[in-house]
Amino acid sequence: MIRWARRNPGIAAGGLLLVLIVLIAILAPLMFTVDPTALAPARRTRPPSAQHWFGTDMLGRDVYSRVIYGSRVSLIVGFAVALLSSVFGLAIGVLAGFVRWLDEVVMRAMDGLMSIPPILLAIALMALTRGSVQNVIIAITIAEVPRVGRLVRGVVLSLRELPYVEAAIAAGTRTPRLVWRHILPNTLAPLIVQASYICASAMITEAILSFIGAGTPPIVPSWGNIMAEGRALWQVKPFIVFFPAAALSITVLAVNLLGDGLRDALDPRLAKRL
Amino acid sequence: MPVLGRRAALTLAAGALAAPAVARADAARVLRFVPQANLSSLDAVAGTQYVVRNAAAMVWETLYGVDASFTPRPQMCEGHEASADFRTWTFRLRPGLRWHDGERVTSRDVVASLQRWMVRDTMGQVIRGRLDALEAIDDRSVRFRLNKPFSKMLFALGKSNAPMALIMPERIARTDPFQLIGDYVGSGPMVFRKDEWVPGARAVFARFAGYQPRQEPGEWLAGGKRMNFERIEWQILPDPATAGAALQNGEVDWWETPIPDLVPLLRRNRDVVVDIADPLGNLGSLRMNHLFPPFSDVRARQALLMATSQSDYMEAVCGGDAALWQTTASFFTPGTALYTEDGGELLKGPRRYDAAKQLLAAAGYNGEKVILMVATDMAITKAEGDVTADMLGRIGMNVDYQALDWGTVGARRAKKDPPGKGGWHIFHTWHAGADCINPAPYTALDAGGDKAWFGWPNSPAVEDGIVAWYDAPDATAEKAAAAAINRAAFADVVYIPTGFFRQYQAWRRDVAGIARAPFPVFWGVRKG
Amino acid sequence: MIWRYAGRRILATIPVMGFVALFVFSLLYFAPGDPAAIIAGDQASAEDIVRIRASLGLDRPFIVRFGEWLWQVLHGDLGTSIFANLPVAHMIGQRVEPTLSLMVLTLLFAVAVAVPLGVLAAARAGSWIDRVIMLFAVLGFSVPVFVVGYLLAWVFALQLDWLPVQGYVPLARGVLPWLRNLVMPVIALGAIYIALIARITRAAMLEVLGQDYIRTARAKGLGSLPVLFLHALKNASVPIVTVVGIGVALLIGGAVVTETVFAIPGIGRLVVDAILRRDYPVIQGVTLLFSVVYVLVNLAVDLLYSVLDPRIRQ
Repeated sequence: MIRWARRNPGIAAGGLLLVLIVLIAILAPLMFTVDPTALAPARRTRPPSAQHWFGTDMLGRDVYSRVIYGSRVSLIVGFAVALLSSVFGLAIGVLAGFVRWLDEVVMRAMDGLMSIPPILLAIALMALTRGSVQNVIIAITIAEVPRVGRLVRGVVLSLRELPYVEAAIAAGTRTPRLVWRHILPNTLAPLIVQASYICASAMITEAILSFIGAGTPPIVPSWGNIMAEGRALWQVKPFIVFFPAAALSITVLAVNLLGDGLRDALDPRLAKRL
Repeated sequence: MPVLGRRAALTLAAGALAAPAVARADAARVLRFVPQANLSSLDAVAGTQYVVRNAAAMVWETLYGVDASFTPRPQMCEGHEASADFRTWTFRLRPGLRWHDGERVTSRDVVASLQRWMVRDTMGQVIRGRLDALEAIDDRSVRFRLNKPFSKMLFALGKSNAPMALIMPERIARTDPFQLIGDYVGSGPMVFRKDEWVPGARAVFARFAGYQPRQEPGEWLAGGKRMNFERIEWQILPDPATAGAALQNGEVDWWETPIPDLVPLLRRNRDVVVDIADPLGNLGSLRMNHLFPPFSDVRARQALLMATSQSDYMEAVCGGDAALWQTTASFFTPGTALYTEDGGELLKGPRRYDAAKQLLAAAGYNGEKVILMVATDMAITKAEGDVTADMLGRIGMNVDYQALDWGTVGARRAKKDPPGKGGWHIFHTWHAGADCINPAPYTALDAGGDKAWFGWPNSPAVEDGIVAWYDAPDATAEKAAAAAINRAAFADVVYIPTGFFRQYQAWRRDVAGIARAPFPVFWGVRKG
Repeated sequence: MIWRYAGRRILATIPVMGFVALFVFSLLYFAPGDPAAIIAGDQASAEDIVRIRASLGLDRPFIVRFGEWLWQVLHGDLGTSIFANLPVAHMIGQRVEPTLSLMVLTLLFAVAVAVPLGVLAAARAGSWIDRVIMLFAVLGFSVPVFVVGYLLAWVFALQLDWLPVQGYVPLARGVLPWLRNLVMPVIALGAIYIALIARITRAAMLEVLGQDYIRTARAKGLGSLPVLFLHALKNASVPIVTVVGIGVALLIGGAVVTETVFAIPGIGRLVVDAILRRDYPVIQGVTLLFSVVYVLVNLAVDLLYSVLDPRIRQ
């Protein structure tokens, strides 16, 4: 166990941290928190103390409780975007890789989407709808799907050239079976690595969207929102911004470490290229 | 030609070399100002944003202008003549008025400008309803002929809230009143530099050399508007943290709306002065939709009134700075002539959540969703909305908190659709105290049902009170009318005042002459 | 051969741009929020708003507005801002210099810092230097750009008083003032870009260094180490150039935030303001412009790539 951890420090450290953060998120009500949305305007902007570990914000809400509950939003957004964009990206990539006439159309559309910088695309999509965690997830997913689609399509195209896959095609193996038996297992490794990076970048994008005022509704205690609300006071009450910023950075760091570790462990060839 | 070309080139070169020296000497002649919001237009007739009015008041002038006691004084006029029955009003322009392009200001310009203004302004519409003719008598005189007396003419022409009766050149004034003007030639002390305008970032005003200020000292919109700056540069800094840092660092001279939380920090800086911006302050507002349940029932509206804790709202809006706010059981601005707390009992004393719950039940409320639109991009509406969400929860209402930007709230509040189908139940805003001194500029108080402001309150008693005020012959009668309006407005809950608050303004210590006013007064300010 | 590839590559961007145009237009066509009501202001009635909608042409069908818009765009007319009543092309033009300065300086700064760091990490692979550099690279990915921005502003502007906190001085007013205003934004924006390029450089260097001919050369004691590294770097330049191109998207996204934090009157802030105000023509114009820039940069990178590595043309 210890030897394994020494060989894969990224997975060990990142994974451990992430498990810890997930636990905190799940057990938020037991973490000595109070209602993160309870207002107390008379007790606003108090510095950290025994009663309010991370102080209180502009409306007197407990920053510690908000940060703890905020982990739920960041994790949900990160994981959901990673999962959804993997699933859709996989579907699109496999489709484009196998159905030649679709390839051109789908890939031009993906190129089109990809040529709009992701944050700009997400901002524009958020302007379409009203802010909710669900819409943030959809917007970031749309921005990320083309990247996964391209990756998968590349893998599929290169796999098709491999002798045993060619043989299977020649032998008349039906496409769904082919995908299940040969394509999916070989796509999984790069996909997982890619998904971990998407998870990290989705968390940051969520924070940026909220920071600009185009993200999750302010009533939701997400780290991005806490920072967005506290940023006007960063000079006088830096603690309001500091704690969620640290929490976000540590979480993203954990995911990135895990992603690097997975990359090294799962795909040494990719590790060298990236 | 070649000779001329060379001379021109030499002149240009000399100018370019001299430029840095000029720039340094000019530092004291340039005022760098951070306005409350972005300047997106200059049309204070077609639009009502405060920031637009503030810019327009430098570029254009009015026939009359209010001073610090809201008394209208002659500005573009030498004076006026009113018939004894207040049905004929004649105004004569003072000599020497010129547009920024050098042309003379004539009575034709005045007629066209007032006609455009009368379409958009509430008081203007009253005048228009009583108008037989508005005509130019000669080059410098215009006359109103009315079929019904109108005694508040001077206030209408000189008031400071938009739509203002700004006088523009005839060709600009011919613009559709519902379209924004695109030509910014005025006769005011500053010329708008359209070529240097970067919307969202900066707006520049240059001194108008041809401007002749009046002899009297300047006060608000009245008197001599003496400009001590060659240029006034507006820098739009939407992030209060950035604006505060820029002021501390001396990168700007004057910040119109510092947020209360930063004020202690600014006060510690020896180079910065902080003061109350406008003693008339603002009234916070919780606005309900009177067309649909539950708030179509007056009992539901009264339930909210019982649960409203003004101190919670004001703490959230102003921070811990108790000097900035007060609770007020009135629809009128504290400290002004018509102020009254008649009928405001439900807002006073401990909050009665249980009684409110019972009243809600009596009104037939049974856990339906209540749509609360919150403009989260503005600190004041954001704070108000968060407090309301908390309050509605306490009296057992099922809140649907919709976080929107001010633009969207502005659009959606105009919809009379049912709340479930694109409409709304509650939104927040605030009204400048200067606009709540009497019913004339006070659109939000109007309770004429369909024609009233958003929420469409319908209270015949309030409407009767407003008519009584318009026709009041003296101050006593005006006060009586205001008391009746206040009682009726609370009984029918036209809207809920969430408290009275003032805002700060802050400037560098080397700037002098900044006045307390409902808008930034640039004349009389100097630097260095 | 190279020309045929270039021609094909350039032609391929046309449908991509067409898709972008359609997407950008339809996105905002369906956006809620009514600019007419915002212009009309507080006092306006529902009828006033309908009139303003009509006069702005907001009430016509989708295909008419898209066709008209595309036609105008192809003629260099990006429409008129609903709020400022100014041509969008003019508004973008006013704001090109700050954004371009920020992005170009960040690019230069990031490459200048990241490539040596990546080479160093590769040369000392596995050592503590490598670990520290890579840790910084991961951190660069993990800390949001506005957090870096505020941290920098607090230290260098408010505590040390070395640099201005906000604003932009045009290059025409002197190189030094221009630079002073850009130092902090460039560092803040550069962090994530440095992280990206440093990682790619290290990986590319490791791959080249692992190849037989270099190993042979080193084993034979041929040439000095710096020369070898220069040689390896030349070979590693292909992936580095590629990632510089891809990373432009990061720069554009980051510029939106950086310009907001440091109050730089650039295109990024223009689009944030426009989205809050539902100023459709501005959002359309800026998104389209950034997308064109991104496509062109990557076109250039691809062409460069194909010159450096002929195999790609297949």
